Amino acid sequence: MFLHNLKYEFLQNIRAKSLILWLILFPIILGTFFKIAFSGIYESTTVFSAVPIAVVEDGDNSVFREVMTTLSEGDDALFETEYTNEDAAMEMLEAKKISGILYVAGEKLSITVTPAEGGPSAESIRQTIIKSFGEQYNAHCNIIADTVANSPEKISDVVSALSEDIKCNENIPLTNGNHDNMLSYYYNLIAMVALLGSDLGLNIAVSSQGNLSAIGARKCCSPTKKLVTIISSMVGCITVQTVCIIIAVSFLAFVLKVDFGSKLHMVYLAGSIGGMLGVSFGFAIGSIGRLGVNAKSAIATAFSLICCFFSGLMAGNMKAIVSTYAPWFNEINPAAVISDSLYCLNFYDDYERFTQKIVTMLIMTVVFTIIGFFLTRRRKYASL
Amino acid sequence: MAETIVKIENLVKRYKDLIALDHLNLEIKQGEVFGLLGPNGSGKSTTINCLLSLLTFDKGSIEIFGKKMAPDNYEAKRNIGIIMQNVAVFDELTVIENIDYFCGLYIKDKSERKKCVQDAIEFTELQDFIHFYPKKLSGGLLRRLNIACGIAHKPKLIILDEPTVAVDPQSRNKILEGIQKLNEEGATIIYTSHYMEEVEQICTRIAIMDKGKKIAEGTKDELKKMIKNTETVSVEISEIPDDILEKLSTLPHVYSTDFNNGKLEVKCSGGKHNLIRILNVLQESDLHFGRVFSELPTLNDVFLEITGKALRDSD
Ligand SMILES: Nc1ncnc2c1ncn2[C@@H]1O[C@H](COP(=O)(O)OP(=O)(O)O)[C@@H](O)[C@H]1O
Ligand SMILES: [Mg+2]
Repeated sequence: MFLHNLKYEFLQNIRAKSLILWLILFPIILGTFFKIAFSGIYESTTVFSAVPIAVVEDGDNSVFREVMTTLSEGDDALFETEYTNEDAAMEMLEAKKISGILYVAGEKLSITVTPAEGGPSAESIRQTIIKSFGEQYNAHCNIIADTVANSPEKISDVVSALSEDIKCNENIPLTNGNHDNMLSYYYNLIAMVALLGSDLGLNIAVSSQGNLSAIGARKCCSPTKKLVTIISSMVGCITVQTVCIIIAVSFLAFVLKVDFGSKLHMVYLAGSIGGMLGVSFGFAIGSIGRLGVNAKSAIATAFSLICCFFSGLMAGNMKAIVSTYAPWFNEINPAAVISDSLYCLNFYDDYERFTQKIVTMLIMTVVFTIIGFFLTRRRKYASL
Repeated sequence: MAETIVKIENLVKRYKDLIALDHLNLEIKQGEVFGLLGPNGSGKSTTINCLLSLLTFDKGSIEIFGKKMAPDNYEAKRNIGIIMQNVAVFDELTVIENIDYFCGLYIKDKSERKKCVQDAIEFTELQDFIHFYPKKLSGGLLRRLNIACGIAHKPKLIILDEPTVAVDPQSRNKILEGIQKLNEEGATIIYTSHYMEEVEQICTRIAIMDKGKKIAEGTKDELKKMIKNTETVSVEISEIPDDILEKLSTLPHVYSTDFNNGKLEVKCSGGKHNLIRILNVLQESDLHFGRVFSELPTLNDVFLEITGKALRDSD
């Protein structure tokens, strides 16, 4: 009985056009769209060009000159430096010919930049680099002075280490759509596929209730226990949903070459658990109330997309906004939980936070499933 | 005396203030084709849904095959086949897959099931369409598929709730013949409809319902004997003077005359040669008339006499 039901659940699902459209084609199209949209941004600003600056010296500082010379040399030069006086430097800054001015007085370095307005831009990144350099130099000027004095041949090593430090500084977003931001779109895309699986779960509930569909009435009149048909349908839907997740993740990872980090197998795992969450969510929605299947399906799809919206599928900074105004919502928004689990996977070496997100997903899955079962079984005796 | 298959006693079902079933009693015996006739909204579907435990009810008791019916009376469910007003099949499954799926909810054994599915396909003459999806079937074929899904497991009791709504006359006849054949093969049938012709055609016993109450029950002949009408004479005639109409109504056995839209209707109760006497009156008055019908009472007359309204106002 179980296998009989499972077989036909599979057949139905794989032949349903909406499944192919929403769970397979839609993510592929959207993923490709993201890839195209991001590739422009990514390439235009990661080609790193030297930051134009002016240096105003008060007295002679050979150590600093040495450092600047090293940083302004070669293909990957950090700065394009011009030595000048203060007035000329201010003029250049106002005319936006340079991004900042370095003042050298004795050992200490101070900087002037005109803060860029708005969000991250190429200009603000340059300024961050200048500031970062100032901090690094001030923090390390003793070491640098030592090196110049004692082993001048090592100065270039020290300086390049310094410049690496600056480039790797996590406060410097390398691009507008920086790596993290872009990934979070893909994470949300996976969350969306997972949640759109709610349509599958919804059908289970609707088609097993005598009061919601003619098919439900027919099933209810048969001697097969409701529990058996529901569980086998659940197994069928979750399997189909897992396959859809695997297709989506594989497409992103291998066709679009999205870099999910070294734990790709865990991305599959988290996505699949998210898929279970989606199916159980739909099952719960389907069992509530007496609306027809089309109305419920519309509700489930809308709800899934709203969750994804607040998690940042349409606008990357949405999750940050939510975490400012309603941080609790990110903890219970299924889309946010799914995409966060993927984020944690990539950005933390240990599995602690990842596990925490997975546990949250499993708890939600169980809660939704229990709600669905409870309502579906209760309906057995309720009125049409 | 045949075995009682279904026994409904004092069934009351309320939807908030509306009393959908009002102390309904029914007893259906082995081998019957039992008709539940009533206008839309009279409570036929409600009766069926209570019978199948799809609905709870407020009062009364229901027994099927001698046992109390309940959602977990799986033994009873195993022997019931249902065909509802709304077609209940999966769009994503082909004809044969649909039949196999629903049959599989009743019959576990694979080879036995295969045989049953084959029989159902032959019975509904769907052989040429087994790999079609329901969307590709015409209305009549779809109804036949709906029936095949309901009867493939060879139930002892088959319940059909208005299976011919919106079906063309030809397919309707096929369906009715099929139902009679199932009955001949041993199944007890419960058939609901608001078409009296269908019920008259196939049912061995009929209960007439109105507003949740059973207003009459019996074979069609018994029902017709309950009423005083035995013959209705209709004459197409352009005009008729009031005194002639008066004269007609004083004829023996005539209990009602009516003239409306060029049609004279005279209702008679008992007696012989009513038609000739009526035509004689018209002839003596030198009135010209067109077609003449003499009809035996129909279930509509039964309904009309008991409730004071026609079974169907439209269609
Ligand atoms: N779910 C419901 N809620 C309220 N009233 C209902 C419901 N279902 C049916 N009814 C009412 O109960 C009465 C009987 O309906 P039904 O059994 O469907 O009639 P039939 O099948 O004879 O056309 C009708 O008046 C109908 O409006
Ligand atoms: Mg009805």
